[in-house]
Amino acid sequence: MNQAVKTDSPGAFLEEMEKTRGTLPKRIVANPQNVEKGLAKLVLTLIELIRKLMEKQAMRRIENGSLTEAEIERVGETLMKLENKMRELKQIFGLEDEELNLNLGPLGNLL
Amino acid sequence: MASHNVIAESKDVALVEVLDRVLDKGVVISGDLVISVAEVDLVYVGLKALISSVETMERLRGGPFVGPMQEPT
Amino acid sequence: MAIYIYGVIDSNGRPDDPMIGLEGALVCNLPYRDLGVVTSDLDARIPHITKEHVLGHERVVERLMVNFTVLPFRFPTIFDKKEDVLAMMNDHYDDFRDNLGRLRGKAEFGIKVIWPGDKIRTRMAPGENSAPMPAPASPARSFLKKKFEEHQIEKKIEDEADKHIALVDGFFNKFAAEKKLEKLKTENLLLNALYLVEKEKQGDFRQAFEQLRSSPGELKYLFSGPWPPYNFIKMIRP
Repeated sequence: MNQAVKTDSPGAFLEEMEKTRGTLPKRIVANPQNVEKGLAKLVLTLIELIRKLMEKQAMRRIENGSLTEAEIERVGETLMKLENKMRELKQIFGLEDEELNLNLGPLGNLL
Repeated sequence: MASHNVIAESKDVALVEVLDRVLDKGVVISGDLVISVAEVDLVYVGLKALISSVETMERLRGGPFVGPMQEPT
Repeated sequence: MAIYIYGVIDSNGRPDDPMIGLEGALVCNLPYRDLGVVTSDLDARIPHITKEHVLGHERVVERLMVNFTVLPFRFPTIFDKKEDVLAMMNDHYDDFRDNLGRLRGKAEFGIKVIWPGDKIRTRMAPGENSAPMPAPASPARSFLKKKFEEHQIEKKIEDEADKHIALVDGFFNKFAAEKKLEKLKTENLLLNALYLVEKEKQGDFRQAFEQLRSSPGELKYLFSGPWPPYNFIKMIRP
């Protein structure tokens, strides 16, 4: 190879690059046990997406002060319950946060 | 000792830079005529595992990796 | 027996020096109109991801880069027979030609920057809310308040990141024909930048890195290149 790769901190970069590549298999072998887990992953990823979008929306509305008292109560309650439910489901299916993501190729990751 | 690590790590970083491009980027052709990579379980393991398994391979062969890939300098 | 593809080049002639590719096979240039697709025969149908194969692939692509413009293919791209390869060339000829024209005389460089993400986060204290919230009186309220504080911190971190990235990009931007900036891929990987740089400007580009590297601060930098233009290929037809 005729590249230069120049850095004073190879170890640090190696560590970060290892994190970005991830260790998930590119292809999940379809056997009964992990078909279920694969589906759970997909469904929960989509729910996470919706949950995060809802949170973002709530944040925006707080910022521009457009939430009424009653709404603050309701939105807070909903988001709290949703977050707790997701935590429960992740535990049931043995899924970590990092696993709930979809790679959209050139568009990067979904979450 | 510390300097040896930096050398080893520098080589690893260079390898990671190559892997990142060769495995993930470049022209990607899909379609019926391409033998699908998914036909075989190309399980990509974490880089540390890849690097260390290659080193094990080299050790078993008995030396720095040789083969038709080496160009005469 | 299968056919392994290294890339497409802007020449339909035979390469001057013989090259050895994967599995010790001879590398050929299969002509298609004014272009060529660089291949070698493969015994196994699918090559394993090994250092040997990956570096073998890269070595061929880089040798080609010396005399030609190359569109490197992703590892591994394999076809059953020659006719299939030519059909592929037919399908994508326009895309290939456009890319070759755009990328001629240019190489890819990578700049990565690490910042102390965790320290930055600790430094960002939650600020005064722009929309004042009354004292939390319920779990729902305090949940939302906490979320909002976290959200504010994230925003501050992003703004800080943008500032640093603009500074770094400022060193290289003027030498690049194209660029791709990826922000905060991980908490500490502030920037993963790719620059497409013409041959004539590569010296200046390298100089710019030396300048950046010697500038004061707590950031860590990595430079890599020149690479074949892996990250700058735009295929309209998949």
